[in-house]
Amino acid sequence: MARIPPPSHFWPRTREGRIAVGAFVVLFALCMPPFTHTVWDRPDAWIGGWPSFLVVLFLIYSALVGVLVWTLRKGV
Amino acid sequence: MEAWVVATSLIFLYLLATIVLGVVANKRMTVDMEDFLLYGRKAGFIVLYLTVVATFHSAFAFLGSGGFFYTHGIGFWAAGTWTLLVGAITYVLGPRIWALGKAFGYITPADMLADFYESEAVRVVVAIVSVVFTILYIQVQAQGLGYIINVASGDRISFELGTLILLVVAAAYLMAGGLRAVYWTDVIQGVWMYVAVWVGAMYLAYELFGGPLELWRQVQAQRPDLLGLPGPRGFFTPGMWIGMTITLSFGIIFQPHMMIRYYTAVDARTLKILGATTPIYLMTLYIPAALVGLGGAVAMPGLDIPDQIFPELLFAHAPPVLTGVILAGATAAAMSTLDSILHANMTVLTRDVYQRYIAPDRDQAHYVLIGRLLVGALLVVGYVLSVRTFDFLVVLVTLSGAGALQLMPAIVSCLFPGPRTLTRAGVLAGLFAGLVTLYVTLVVVAHPLGMHGGIWSLIVNTVVAIAVSAGTPGPSDATLERIHGEVERQVYGP
Repeated sequence: MARIPPPSHFWPRTREGRIAVGAFVVLFALCMPPFTHTVWDRPDAWIGGWPSFLVVLFLIYSALVGVLVWTLRKGV
Repeated sequence: MEAWVVATSLIFLYLLATIVLGVVANKRMTVDMEDFLLYGRKAGFIVLYLTVVATFHSAFAFLGSGGFFYTHGIGFWAAGTWTLLVGAITYVLGPRIWALGKAFGYITPADMLADFYESEAVRVVVAIVSVVFTILYIQVQAQGLGYIINVASGDRISFELGTLILLVVAAAYLMAGGLRAVYWTDVIQGVWMYVAVWVGAMYLAYELFGGPLELWRQVQAQRPDLLGLPGPRGFFTPGMWIGMTITLSFGIIFQPHMMIRYYTAVDARTLKILGATTPIYLMTLYIPAALVGLGGAVAMPGLDIPDQIFPELLFAHAPPVLTGVILAGATAAAMSTLDSILHANMTVLTRDVYQRYIAPDRDQAHYVLIGRLLVGALLVVGYVLSVRTFDFLVVLVTLSGAGALQLMPAIVSCLFPGPRTLTRAGVLAGLFAGLVTLYVTLVVVAHPLGMHGGIWSLIVNTVVAIAVSAGTPGPSDATLERIHGEVERQVYGP
């Protein structure tokens, strides 16, 4: 009898898993080109005296850490 | 007391502390391969956290990143993307690798891939890729170490002698205590390097500019070209941004010294916590590096070797004790990576070559002895490679990472059950095609069309692996059931 493989692991099976992957992918896309080289590339813009490029990406990176911690808490 | 005396003394005190830890680790060691090579598979969260971050961040993070900000500007804040990806990869892949290692006794990455693809050829090729590309990394760290001690001593200890001293110390505590000694020293090194970078950068920001805000104002006034993309030399193109993100995350995680760490965890949840939290340490270490590099471009322009900006600023503007403490932190950054790579290469050569093909039926003590002898041999190879050339640190790191990146299709297919898997012929053909492409796109025509060579090689590797796998036999049903079944149980329960 042919072996029945387990369902694919490339797509999350739970709602929390799909939320976690979706949030991570969207946020990660925001810190990649073209956003970095167009929207965030503002050498004259400042936030609290720091370069906006540094601050905006720091906030996105922090949000990504938040997604990972949320995923951990949900047991995904 | 002169600055160089204080700096050099502190570094040697630090080295002494690592040797003492190695001796203590030796007393706790039991003579078997799992204990010597894998810390007995019982590393808890704190030890594992600090060894992973200390190993990931090397001489490059301490010296090269400041140099990169100095030369190419704020675009190096891309570093955050690969540190975040390292966390996510650890979260997703770490528990799978751990579960397979525990269930089937794997010690090296080649153990896992050879078992899954049922191929000794896969074992040999993976072992070769593992060793060849991480030896480059030994060169990078050893050069960083030699450079640090050369600078700290005010050129009184030559680069060559400094490299030799630090290689010998790392090899000594590794031989004495195995991976336990590496982990324990990494705990100190991980804390020390983080504190050192932050304290040094903030001290310099206040000493030179009166604080970070004025530092940024000066950068804007004097070097506005450093605040935009792609940077003054046009380095940070979209293709390079993406390429460095992939290469310095997957490419480093798939190096044996990082993958072996997953086998050593006490349980899978520890690895998940690790994945969720390591980016905090890894990413925030680049903030002080930005202050040093960009502030340094204003305060000390025109350096011939940009990697020198941090120690040069310290020697010029910081008190000797602080300079010594921080340079000892830089030593810690380089040594924590170097000892891990020496350990990983020793593990691969002992397990995948010696035990497998030369002397398969010897007792555990024999393999531990061989491991120690191999560390001595690697020390010699690392030293010779190190004193031959001196180049920009990040380029070598990127080359190293891009090599291990070629293992990605094989590892993903092994760890992710799906409707189709790669085959041994597909994996081998993909690796060969990927490595050839890597050579062409890094050496012959560097980064064609502005896209990092690592990405070109990964694309070619994946396409070839899938194409060849479509027409060749894959792993047997029994192997798929055993290995993918274990992954299924680990991720989704029995």
